Amino acid sequence: MHGHGPHRARTLGPCRGGPALEESAVLWPPDSEPGIVSPFKRVFLKGEKSRDKKAHEKVTERRPLHTVVLSLPERVEPDRLLSDYIEKEVKYLGQLTSIPGYLNPSSRTEILHFIDKAKHAHQLPGHLTQEHDAVLSLSAYNVKLAWRDGEDVILRVPIHDIAAVSYVRDDAAHLVVLKTAQDPGISPSQSLCAESSRGLGAGPLPESAVGPVEACCLVILATESKVAAEELCSLLGQVFQIVYTESTIDFLDRAIFDGASTPTHHLSLHSDDSSTKVDLKEAYDAEASTFGFPDCADAGGLPPLSCMQASPHGKAASESELSTSAAELLQDYMLTLRTKLSSQEIQQFAALLHEYRTGASIHEFCISLRQLYGDSRKFLLLGLRPFIPEKDSQHFENFLETIGVKDGRGIITDSFGRHRRAQSTTSTSTANGSRATGSPDDRSGPSEGDEWDRMISDISSDIEALGCSMDQDSA
Amino acid sequence: MRMTMEEMKNEAETTSMVSMPLYAVMYPVFNELERVNLSAAQTLRAAFIKAEKENPGLTQDIIMKILEKKSVEVNFTESLLRMAADDVEEYMIERPEAEFQDLNEKARALKQILSKIPDEINDRVRFLQTIKDIASAIKELLDTVNNVFKKYQYQNRRALEHQKKEFVKYSKSFSDTLKTYFKDGKAINVFISANRLIHQTNLILQTFKTVA
Repeated sequence: MHGHGPHRARTLGPCRGGPALEESAVLWPPDSEPGIVSPFKRVFLKGEKSRDKKAHEKVTERRPLHTVVLSLPERVEPDRLLSDYIEKEVKYLGQLTSIPGYLNPSSRTEILHFIDKAKHAHQLPGHLTQEHDAVLSLSAYNVKLAWRDGEDVILRVPIHDIAAVSYVRDDAAHLVVLKTAQDPGISPSQSLCAESSRGLGAGPLPESAVGPVEACCLVILATESKVAAEELCSLLGQVFQIVYTESTIDFLDRAIFDGASTPTHHLSLHSDDSSTKVDLKEAYDAEASTFGFPDCADAGGLPPLSCMQASPHGKAASESELSTSAAELLQDYMLTLRTKLSSQEIQQFAALLHEYRTGASIHEFCISLRQLYGDSRKFLLLGLRPFIPEKDSQHFENFLETIGVKDGRGIITDSFGRHRRAQSTTSTSTANGSRATGSPDDRSGPSEGDEWDRMISDISSDIEALGCSMDQDSA
Repeated sequence: MRMTMEEMKNEAETTSMVSMPLYAVMYPVFNELERVNLSAAQTLRAAFIKAEKENPGLTQDIIMKILEKKSVEVNFTESLLRMAADDVEEYMIERPEAEFQDLNEKARALKQILSKIPDEINDRVRFLQTIKDIASAIKELLDTVNNVFKKYQYQNRRALEHQKKEFVKYSKSFSDTLKTYFKDGKAINVFISANRLIHQTNLILQTFKTVA
């Protein structure tokens, strides 16, 4: 194993530059030199000129780039990268795969070793022409490379797959190298192990390199000048900062959500556990709204969340014995869904919830929800914990564990692998579904489970109605 | 000592954010003074506590005036945040059980990380790491609170749940403040929000101390 950890880059690397030689910039491409020539050469040059003319016409026919000129250390507005994109002209040399993951992106020697090796094996071009012209399109979501002519996409790399960006000046060449995660589908040309990576260079192999070595890719680009290379690195660095910042805040939100969501009682539809008597009216206090929580009223004409609260509130107040935490959890979960899911996804969630409640298995429910939420939002599954019936809670907990979100530990380590694990033991009893009984003054009445059931039904119906109203709005 | 929900709310309101300078700034001063003149220090402490209770914000006003008189130019909010990490003896839970000591420890850890914000905020990479540490500390504190809930049954459970809810609310507010900060760059709002969160952390300890 290499020493850097997985490249599914929660470790978003800053742009690193190799040492730049203090030379004057080399013209790109080199100018032609006119002069007095023989008739033979005249014919030859005529042909050359014709080709140059065509190439020139080709260049002038190319569409203008959607770009911005940065004077470093100037920075681009974050919105430009979040809601828009920036294009830069580069030359695409190629992508090297099955590179040892412990390659040091700050090491000019290591990077050039692989580039030279690839050129020798004719995997990378020795000489660059206009045929290698490409457009790099950069946003907060991915780096996309397409040919300058024809616009065919060469490759697309999500930002979270980029481990590091390097600038290496090699004589006249200004190389920008992206170290990225390797697609699991790429089969290495040779078995990548400690043996084959010995050619890397000076120094002993890292201890972690014993045995199978995790592989990465190097995307090799060239820019016309040092300024262009540094500008590209700066833009990528800003993207990393935006994404890393967003991820960090998201991590904070998830930690708060998880800590707040862990029920003090196990709240199941059919639980026999007692719960404390509470005043439901208090449970639906909208205190949270004073701190600028997502506004229930939606500009798209969706019904406010308060409407969804009204019906269970009115029906259950006289009989329910749900805890304050339970009602607040429901409220919080609905608010969260509204902020994390698109309208179409909410419809899908409603459909899945309906299927589960009308007989689909917990297994199907979990799998479908996992697909709906995706990797970046799988933490939302934690919020469902209080609403899973006792009979399904074990399966649900096991499922959470398999996808790495059980008790929030998976969240903390999946997002930022180097971060320490939470030492919480809170969820132990959550896992097996058993809970301490309620306080001495609790009463467990025959209506508790029914009341809870009805409340969940009301919420489910409201979600489904929300989905229907979205259909009408979009029709 | 058993307190009703109403009494707990009143207690919290009395020990409001504006009184934070009393325990964050003045208590350490009184502790130092006790070594010099125990009686005077205790008298002064009692007087300040009583005065602050009757006139919330008085301590802060006095401190600000002293600073003004001495022409000391400090950012009060930032300084308060730096000083707020220290344990407040009045809020520390004395029960020896592991869960309660864990609660003390987790609260202390969160306050210490929050108090480091002024040192880290100007370095984006370090500040993001600090935020991750804060996230973990918040989660661990809430997990510990849940642990105590699970293990011990209280008649004033609602008071404890209310305080937990308040803490979660201020944690979310802190997150929102950070989002705004990354757009407008106004660090002072982060300091204010962090101070509020520290205050809520102390209130959790106070609540558990009182109810337990």
